[in-house]
Amino acid sequence: MPRFSSSLRGMKREFDSLTTTQLIFVLFILIFFLLIPVFSILYKAFIFQGHLSIQQFEQTFSNPDMIKYPPNLQFFKIMHRYRFEVLPNGSRILVPLTTLVIGAEGPDFGYIFNSIFVSTCVMIFASIIGTIAAFIMARYNFPGKNVFRVLLFIPLLATPFVNAYVIGKVLGEGGLLNYVLRHVLHAPFTVVISGLPAVILIQTLSFFPIVYMNVLSSIINIDPSLEEQAENLGAHGFKLFRTITFPLSLPGLAAGATLVFVFSMEDLGAPIGLAGAFGDGLHNKLMSFYVYTQFQQAFSLEQVSPSAYVVALIMLMIAVVAFMIIKKYVSLRQYAMLAKGGRWSPRVRKLGPLGILAVYAFMLPLVVVSCFPQIGVVVLALTNWATSGAVPTSFTLEYMQALVTKPDVVTAIRNSVTYAGLAILITIILGTSAAYIVIRRKIPGRDIIDVMTTIPIVIPGIIVAVGYLIFFGSVFFKTFMDPFINPGALLVFTYTVRRSPFLTRSVVAGLQQTHVSLEEAAMNLGASRVKTFFSIVIPLISANVIGGAILSFVYMMNEVSTSLLLGAHNPAQGPITFLMSQVIYSTGTVGAVSIAAALGVLLMVLQITAISLSNYILKQRVAFLGV
Amino acid sequence: MVTVRLDNVVKTFGKVVAVDHVTLTINHGEFFSFLGPSGCGKTTTLRVIAGLEWCDSGRIFFDDQDVTDLPPYKRNTGMVFQNYALWPHMTVFDNIAYGLKIRKLPKDEIRRRVKEVLELVKLSGMENRYPTQLSGGQQQRVALARALVVEPRVLLLDEPLSNLDAKLRIEMREEIKKIQKKLGITTIYVTHDQEEAMVISDRIAVLNQGKVMQVGTPRELYRRPRNLFVATFLGRYTIFRGKVSEVDPSQVVTVKTGSLVIKGMPPAPDIKVREGDEVVIIIRPHSFKLIPPAKPHNVIEGIIDWVSYIGPYFEIRVKASGVDFLLNVDPETPVRIGERIKAYVSVEETMVFPISATKDMAYMQELK
Ligand SMILES: Nc1ncnc2c1ncn2[C@@H]1O[C@H](COP(=O)(O)OP(=O)(O)OP(=O)(O)O)[C@@H](O)[C@H]1O
Ligand SMILES: [Mg+2]
Repeated sequence: MPRFSSSLRGMKREFDSLTTTQLIFVLFILIFFLLIPVFSILYKAFIFQGHLSIQQFEQTFSNPDMIKYPPNLQFFKIMHRYRFEVLPNGSRILVPLTTLVIGAEGPDFGYIFNSIFVSTCVMIFASIIGTIAAFIMARYNFPGKNVFRVLLFIPLLATPFVNAYVIGKVLGEGGLLNYVLRHVLHAPFTVVISGLPAVILIQTLSFFPIVYMNVLSSIINIDPSLEEQAENLGAHGFKLFRTITFPLSLPGLAAGATLVFVFSMEDLGAPIGLAGAFGDGLHNKLMSFYVYTQFQQAFSLEQVSPSAYVVALIMLMIAVVAFMIIKKYVSLRQYAMLAKGGRWSPRVRKLGPLGILAVYAFMLPLVVVSCFPQIGVVVLALTNWATSGAVPTSFTLEYMQALVTKPDVVTAIRNSVTYAGLAILITIILGTSAAYIVIRRKIPGRDIIDVMTTIPIVIPGIIVAVGYLIFFGSVFFKTFMDPFINPGALLVFTYTVRRSPFLTRSVVAGLQQTHVSLEEAAMNLGASRVKTFFSIVIPLISANVIGGAILSFVYMMNEVSTSLLLGAHNPAQGPITFLMSQVIYSTGTVGAVSIAAALGVLLMVLQITAISLSNYILKQRVAFLGV
Repeated sequence: MVTVRLDNVVKTFGKVVAVDHVTLTINHGEFFSFLGPSGCGKTTTLRVIAGLEWCDSGRIFFDDQDVTDLPPYKRNTGMVFQNYALWPHMTVFDNIAYGLKIRKLPKDEIRRRVKEVLELVKLSGMENRYPTQLSGGQQQRVALARALVVEPRVLLLDEPLSNLDAKLRIEMREEIKKIQKKLGITTIYVTHDQEEAMVISDRIAVLNQGKVMQVGTPRELYRRPRNLFVATFLGRYTIFRGKVSEVDPSQVVTVKTGSLVIKGMPPAPDIKVREGDEVVIIIRPHSFKLIPPAKPHNVIEGIIDWVSYIGPYFEIRVKASGVDFLLNVDPETPVRIGERIKAYVSVEETMVFPISATKDMAYMQELK
């Protein structure tokens, strides 16, 4: 009994005015703008005509579009055709042509299993490539290593849709690949890759660095003496890797692989970009794209097929399971963004000529292919590649100029900056408050706050957007907060909720590095908690707040899913990524794709600047996720 | 300046009882130390007094005011943290002026008082430096100045010297003591260094596992430890077990251990032993004399086993009747390993402790 009353007394002391204010703010934002919207999907999926029912599930699962049984497993097809060719003298002749068509007709398992198939493949391929790259980078020295280190990060620079479009353009009928095959190699056949294999290719190329980063930081943090001990006992080479190094880096691999799975599942960039290059096809027969089209075209919730809620719920469940897997292996906080490198392992070996050759044979093709989309985006923005066929023929600044002259482009940029600017203000308050509560206050339920501020990393943006459309679209019907009328106001909050983990984690790291006695000294001298917070805590963690805010800001600027789903309901309020998706997907006017590429270049420049800036401010290598 | 009173204070962290029913009174202007091994609850007790931890039960009073439920910023204590906790983003001046600014003093007043306190800690002219530009000793002084400048009711120091080198520690502890006497401020000092506590304190509380083992002046604690823990924690000693063969009315106890028969007394009149009890004998090394004293005494005779030159005296080990004795002898006395020696120790200085409680038994095992 005295224990109980004393803990009550303790509780009263923990809830001073600062903590109470912070807690109320954090809970308000998280509950109102994350929990309730996300849970309303649950409601929509299980309530059919006012009753609790699983009828919508039955309908969805029996729909052959959703689950195709038996699946179409025709991975490729060989086509024999004739086509015209222009001879140097200007005459045209008909020549026979064999084309290997991959992915256009199959595999097709229906929306649900297409997504799972793609995500699984991407996860496996990204894990293999990422782990090998991480092991090479962590353990060997070879000429040009620092160049590779930078190049391995380039695929993470998000250029939504355009990177996929570029690959589509390369892999297509008249693309660069076939240009090389026919005119350089004079091969008697051509290859066209589209459909799910193309999605897998694009996503693997852009997501493997996530595995690479996580495994790398795991390997670097392995105590060298563990490996030395094993060597001392006679293990070496591959055996050492298999028995010691690899098992010890498993947490990093598990976290990285799971993140890749979730990012692949929620990705809209690849399906929309490929649809821009090839038109609609199997490459957009994915859960993410299904939900996107359902909600993007709807003028009200009534027009949405009930299956869309079911599919959204499936995606949410997968994300939550993924989150639990990551939690089990590693505390996400380590992997959210600040994989602190710094201590490069002393166990780095110099390679002999043969070894260097082997490393180059793996790394060179990898970086060339994986950086290609980003290079392609720049080329697309600065040349006439969009209309010139397989290779660009002339340089132009016309599209870059459009960024400041074309009214709808200018509006989109202004929208993005406005939303991200407002969101970052809320994020700063939310993130510092949440981090302070989680690290410094002993109140019940702070673990829940910890989870709620971290979990948005894995919750698909589509889910957040759908949740907003359901909740705000019905409860705030025809008001300022109705996403069907005024999506801009809500985008501020989706940006806040989705991107605040970057700032929160950065502040958490800052607080963990500042000794609590610095705060206690101030309180001892008579400063209240509020005074202590503003005069001591804030100045001490300002670098972390600013560094985290810069990163969050950039990721708000290139946020895709909610920008698309909410933005669609009032194009005048659409942000940059929404405009990019529109011009890529409809590819109507000539030059539009190039303008999207110019916007992609703008985003890349922003990201590079922000990451360098925040590295400089935080004085450490910041690993980041291009979510 | 206040009297600090702890009344049955308990503080637990999960299963660990860090402060276990502590009742203490610290007087006006007193220099009071908490002494004890690592993890015994010294820091926690200090933090409870400062209000940085709240206690599970018990009360804390500053004079007659019950401060148990006051938050730290309303208690007006001045705390010096073990790691100094100087704010890296503020200059020395701003660090020290912080508490005064909180108290909304006028600018001139703040400047004057910071100047005064800097003189007091001998740091004049360092106002504009940042903490990282100071040596460890200087940082320590800034921390002290910052705590003192607000004229706290109690000064709380948590191992303030533990980060300094041996020479500086001795200098600083004298300086802290001088400043304390000059200001006459009630001071509570936490340390695990018994010599430091002995030199600096008016009174000491010896703590073990959250409990107060004994409170007293350094001399009392050394001469008249009330229990085995205090006796063995402070200073060096000869220790051995025996069985009581006789207790006479004046409390002189005759103890037998093997072939050795020795007479001693419990260190306090209320510590009782009876015939047949298992006891522990503790003798301080400087209690041994080589010339027979006038008072009734024990004689030990044995072979010198080990000699070490400490400086002001020799410390020698003597094996006699199967017991290892530790003696201090005058450096003028010629002593050599292997020689026979005869030494005398008075009955009062032969301390007898009963080992009735099983806890004492366990403790004896630990000492072995
Ligand atoms: N915040 C805390 N959470 C859990 N246990 C704690 C906490 N603070 C102290 N303890 C425990 O309480 C006991 C007393 O700790 P305290 O810091 O008071 O010891 P101390 O006497 O100051 O030791 P030292 O000389 O090593 O500083 C220890 O067992 C310690 O592990
Ligand atoms: Mg301590």
